[in-house]
Amino acid sequence: MGLIKEPVNIDFSKKSEPWTEKELLDFRQLMQNIKARNKKRKIKSPGVRENKFRVK
Amino acid sequence: MKKIQKAGLDFIIDKLTNSIENTSTGELFDTEIVKLAGTDIQQIKKADWQFEWHMELRDITKEIYKLTTINNPTIIQGLISLEDKQDHIFMHLIESAKFNKGKNKIYFGVPGNLVAYACKISVEKGYEGFLAFDAKSALIKHYEQSLHATHFRGRRMFIETSAAVRLISRYFKN
Repeated sequence: MGLIKEPVNIDFSKKSEPWTEKELLDFRQLMQNIKARNKKRKIKSPGVRENKFRVK
Repeated sequence: MKKIQKAGLDFIIDKLTNSIENTSTGELFDTEIVKLAGTDIQQIKKADWQFEWHMELRDITKEIYKLTTINNPTIIQGLISLEDKQDHIFMHLIESAKFNKGKNKIYFGVPGNLVAYACKISVEKGYEGFLAFDAKSALIKHYEQSLHATHFRGRRMFIETSAAVRLISRYFKN
């Protein structure tokens, strides 16, 4: 991976502000959707591989 | 409006490296990340840091990690403050040592290393790599490109599984 150049005149860091309850709730919902999608992918993939290399 | 613009993390991912790289010689130095205990407070000199790391260390909800080179474990290259939110990790603070900031920084790769480590913790805890944080508005694009972070809303950002795996595999090959 190449060098990622720094934006000029921007230096280090600030604090993260606490997320609101609503933001956290929405984020958790989104996160659950992504995790569920990840799970589906994990379940699907071994089956596909198994069929692909099955010797008849 | 100005207040909103000031908030948020503005760490710069200068370079993604497996270690940290001397900016002038290109020499690579292996690094390690170690959790700081309350008793390690004397390792952090207040004058050397922008944030109040002593206060972070006293906060029992947060865990503080330091990044050092293996050859010189007494010199802290960067610090990160994390909170376990039970289903993801929240990054409260991240800061490079003052000699790793600005045009004359000594090493590339400090913030990237620390963020990757936070993702690793998230995976180890069973949170599938999820890491949430705030970004300065001007740097949202930068994090999308360098960390493959996702813009949630406003200044809120997060790193999800595939981006986390990518970062972890780059930094922690074992």
